Amino acid sequence: MKKTTNILRVLTFILSINFLNGCYEHFPLDQDLTRSQNFFLNQDSVKVQFPKIINDKITLLAMVYTHCPDICPMTTHNMHLVEQKLPDNLKGKVKFVVISFDPNRDTPSVLKKFAEIRDYSFNKWTLLSGDEQNTKEVMLKFGIKAIPADSSFDDDGELSYNVIHTDRISLIDQEGKLRSNYKGSTANIDMILEDIKYLNN
Amino acid sequence: MNVLLALLLIFSNPSEKIKIVDPWMRVGAQGQATGLFFKIENNSEKADTLYKVEFEPAGKVEIHETYDAGDDMMGMREVGQIVIPAKSSFELKPGAHHVMLMKLKRDIIKGYEGNVTLYFKQAGKIVTKAPAKEMMK
Repeated sequence: MKKTTNILRVLTFILSINFLNGCYEHFPLDQDLTRSQNFFLNQDSVKVQFPKIINDKITLLAMVYTHCPDICPMTTHNMHLVEQKLPDNLKGKVKFVVISFDPNRDTPSVLKKFAEIRDYSFNKWTLLSGDEQNTKEVMLKFGIKAIPADSSFDDDGELSYNVIHTDRISLIDQEGKLRSNYKGSTANIDMILEDIKYLNN
Repeated sequence: MNVLLALLLIFSNPSEKIKIVDPWMRVGAQGQATGLFFKIENNSEKADTLYKVEFEPAGKVEIHETYDAGDDMMGMREVGQIVIPAKSSFELKPGAHHVMLMKLKRDIIKGYEGNVTLYFKQAGKIVTKAPAKEMMK
């Protein structure tokens, strides 16, 4: 009898360790983003601090540039699809943040138009434009690279360029910790939804 | 005689040799850029080449491809032209080849439809109407 009880105790211990490991390992990242704040202007040109503005919310974040005709709109569209597929109990608990890595062209008003034409609601979506220093610091936090390429001057004298850039959506938990990164333009919407549900539990 | 002429016109119509399938453009705001996508079916016995696209509401139009630059990065570059071999098709689609519509002179909103002119070396000029959507899926 005593031997059976001991075996049961060992089995319970092993199962508990496995369960805790499972929770811990559900997300590949555990990076605290709240140790420093960065300053940006939102789409209405109001000065805000990031990540302070996402306080207590589960957040999906992408860094993009609005002159991108292909990858960046696919990325924000995938975030929009996540928003549309959120179950009712999560609709008020998730924020969507887009930060430009091309702030010289992406002024607050440009970002606002980018969002409005796609019907992104500013109740849930915030688009941020910052100076070079703050933009670079946030890019570093999220491991985002953006390299200008193919620059030329148009007939009207305007500088035109593309950007080779990291294609990513990031998931941030309610405590301001970066928990997971996904390929932005080809993201698996269901996987992101499952991860958001996991964080909510 | 008239019937013969009509038949001749039908069979000599270049657009029969090149068919543009499901053209659409992504929504885009004035001053910004967006993408135009479609499938080209080349039903002729000769290869053909798309070398120019015109869209009046765009200040600049280029044929581009999106490519994987490695290390989770994506890039985009101008390709100049697209060759469609005889009896085959080529699809311009998100994340791949596309027509880049830049310096938009107006908002391209959902529900908008615009005429796009495509220039082929063999088939000549083909005008098609493309509706605006946020995304294909």
